[in-house]
Amino acid sequence: MSTHEYSLSERPREQSDIPNGVHDAETPTSHSSSPQRSRSRSPNNNYRRDRAASEQWLPPEKPTSLNYKPTLILRGHKKGVSAVKFSPDGKRIASCSSDGTIKIWDATTGKHEHTLEGHMAGISTIAWSPDSITLASGSDDKSIRLWNVITGKPHPVPFLGHHNYIYSIQFSPKGNMLVSGSYDEAVFLWNVRAARVMRSLPAHSDPVSGVDFARDGTLIVSCSSDGLIRMWDTATGQCLRTLVHEDNAPVTGVRFSPNGKYVLAWTLDSCIRLWNYVDGRCVKTYQGHTNSKYSLGGAFGTYGSLEYPYAFIASGSEDGDVWLWDVGTKDVLQRIEGAHEGVVLGVDTHPKGGVIVTGGLDKTVRVWRCMNDGSGDVGAQAAETPNGLSNGHGDDTAIPSAGT
Amino acid sequence: MNLSLVDPFVLAQDCPEANTGSLRSGHSTCIRFSHRGDLLASGRLDGTVSIFDIETNGVARKLRGHTSQVQSLSWSTSDRYILSASQDWKCVLWDLKDGSRVRTVRFEAPIFIAELHPKNHLHFVVALFEEQPMLVDISGGDPIKKALPSAPRRTKEERESASEKQVAQDAKQTTTVACFSASGDHIISGTNKGWVNIVSTHTCETLYSTRLTPNIVILIRLTSSGRDAVINSSDRIIRTVRLPDFSDPDLDWETLSLDVEHKFQDLVNRLSWNYMSFSNGNGEYVTASTYMNHDIYVWERSHGSLVKILEGPKEELSAVEWHPHRPFVAAVGVDAGRVYLWSILTPQRWSALAPDFVEVEENVEYIEREDEFDIQPIEELQKRRLDREDEDVDVLTVDPGKGLEWYEPGEFRMPVLLDIEGSESEDEVVAVGTGQFRRKNAGTDWSVEGAIAGDGVAVGSGDEARRSPANGSGARNGSKRRRAD
Repeated sequence: MSTHEYSLSERPREQSDIPNGVHDAETPTSHSSSPQRSRSRSPNNNYRRDRAASEQWLPPEKPTSLNYKPTLILRGHKKGVSAVKFSPDGKRIASCSSDGTIKIWDATTGKHEHTLEGHMAGISTIAWSPDSITLASGSDDKSIRLWNVITGKPHPVPFLGHHNYIYSIQFSPKGNMLVSGSYDEAVFLWNVRAARVMRSLPAHSDPVSGVDFARDGTLIVSCSSDGLIRMWDTATGQCLRTLVHEDNAPVTGVRFSPNGKYVLAWTLDSCIRLWNYVDGRCVKTYQGHTNSKYSLGGAFGTYGSLEYPYAFIASGSEDGDVWLWDVGTKDVLQRIEGAHEGVVLGVDTHPKGGVIVTGGLDKTVRVWRCMNDGSGDVGAQAAETPNGLSNGHGDDTAIPSAGT
Repeated sequence: MNLSLVDPFVLAQDCPEANTGSLRSGHSTCIRFSHRGDLLASGRLDGTVSIFDIETNGVARKLRGHTSQVQSLSWSTSDRYILSASQDWKCVLWDLKDGSRVRTVRFEAPIFIAELHPKNHLHFVVALFEEQPMLVDISGGDPIKKALPSAPRRTKEERESASEKQVAQDAKQTTTVACFSASGDHIISGTNKGWVNIVSTHTCETLYSTRLTPNIVILIRLTSSGRDAVINSSDRIIRTVRLPDFSDPDLDWETLSLDVEHKFQDLVNRLSWNYMSFSNGNGEYVTASTYMNHDIYVWERSHGSLVKILEGPKEELSAVEWHPHRPFVAAVGVDAGRVYLWSILTPQRWSALAPDFVEVEENVEYIEREDEFDIQPIEELQKRRLDREDEDVDVLTVDPGKGLEWYEPGEFRMPVLLDIEGSESEDEVVAVGTGQFRRKNAGTDWSVEGAIAGDGVAVGSGDEARRSPANGSGARNGSKRRRAD
């Protein structure tokens, strides 16, 4: 592949100071995005202990592998896609890119709805408000902007205050607050209504690479390339706990588990760790992917039946693969090889399950659906695929993948 | 979720200890927390109702419609509707979903207080100045007003033996305060002669009456369970009363007697109380603001003793409210109309910042583990570490009952308005000297101020200033004079 040109938005994501374009060209030899049922270990009989184990009735057997297949390739971004997010209602996909634009897509058809332009530099992070109407974006132009995704119009007042690139943002569960982490080493808590900084957390001694809100909004987690993960009390702004791994690898992303009891952290030693933050212990380490340079995105997802869902973790990899691990056993459920040509920077799971969206340095956004027989129940409802999409044209084309 | 990480000593504290900030949007006259506790409604002198978001300390919504000072506020159980009563003799029911007026009801007299029915937001009770209290049904097109009795219930013998003077006196009684019981089946009202009446919501008949004080009953508040009442009267005594379970079918109204549990008063200074409310939960504490004094008194109810005097700003406080489930108190300053907040101060624990360090009370001898300083190959350590990760983790199941302020799906959630600043048309004005005002810069407004700025610059909203430029300072001078007396 030709050497890439990196805009500002990609640069902060690199932990080592590599000059533009020196970065190794990835080797996406063939455009085969054929997912495989591979690398799954023997069936796991650990049913969820709290719910299952009733004598007369056993829950459906836990699937040992997942089978996500490509369904859509969304093209249009002119530079690498740094983050992709499903809206909380599952109807839309937002993707942001180092070309300074955000694109809004219909999640089922892949139809391009809006291109949001206004940032003066590349965009590293986006976040949906809980009502799925507002999208926030954080850019290398040091501003955070809000957008109405229905009208495609920007909110007139940008959030100004950070002294350097915005690295990561997240809305509070009620949508009244926004937390942002920046290259200027601070975490800001914003009052969304007034577009003002409510509180500045003296968070880290290195760029803040990830922030997230717990599901009840009372806790904020932040992480930094100084290797620390800190938990903050939203109400008082005090640090409640610091998590650090012995190896002190730079942490590039952090997320709360869906129930808010654990935090998942990406580190540049090619590991994703699940932390029990109350005890301050790392309880699981997920490995296999490669991650030594970029802030990779990832998400929790569910599989199995609706009544007895199991959790998986989805993450991109710098070799162009997408990995899915079972949370409990750490088994690889699926490795989508060659999902993108080059680094997979953004991965998100559909709120109802069964669909994954990924974005990568190859400027594309791809949508994957779970095709498991029988066990893909969770996804089935969300994955009512309108097959045989007609191709659009120009920038906003949605092409049904030719990969399969 | 933060509770699992917060210092248990901090969590054990259930009474606020220090002034931690203030809120401002116009000149506030009355306040009320939503049931969930994430919003604080504030009625203003200019008739506007501002809804504060307690998490951001910003204004979440403004409700405009009244033309005169807001007198009382009442939230519906769902926190979607709010009823405001104003000195323009009107009650307005607001829908917070879009900020619209659901109903406006006009009365023929000034309103003391209006309270919403706990189960039906289209019913409410009002206490009126020198008029009979009303039970109002606004479910139809026109409001249906039913007058409620104010006269105490007399037994047959009492009625027969009653003197003409007594009958006339009974007839002259008016209700000064009314509120619903927890189920909404009964109304508890207080009269200007110190009687407390319990009226059935269905039949509008007085079921029980008792005289607690010879003076006017100013305010009655119940705990969320509805089993305790706190009653303020103009005889400078706050009384707490245990109430029977009104929904009990075996309750015999004839033999019922309400007994005063505690009398809170200041015998030395003879303070009279502006306003009082119960603490969170089951009302372990009673808090009251004082007339011509700037302290907030907190009594605890198990022993009936005064536990704390919260020092406030240098101004008299009127309405005081306790957060529904946190040790957090809000009170309105009379002069500036600012809402002051008290809560617990949580010191930063330094060990939280450095996980390798532990805070210890005194020196502890460190006992090293057997293998602590053994040298082992890194791969071995790595492998051991990974092998230890065999525990079950559940990242999906949500603990029920945690996070009282969390919204379940489907529950009403107030939309977040992004253009609330745009609706801020009135200028915020700062008094820079006697009779001199300047527009306040946007930016520092209603942010939490760590300390109350000295004597507090008198801040008035624009229209106040327009009405009388000396209003802000005049009120201050007035209060100073009073204090000097």
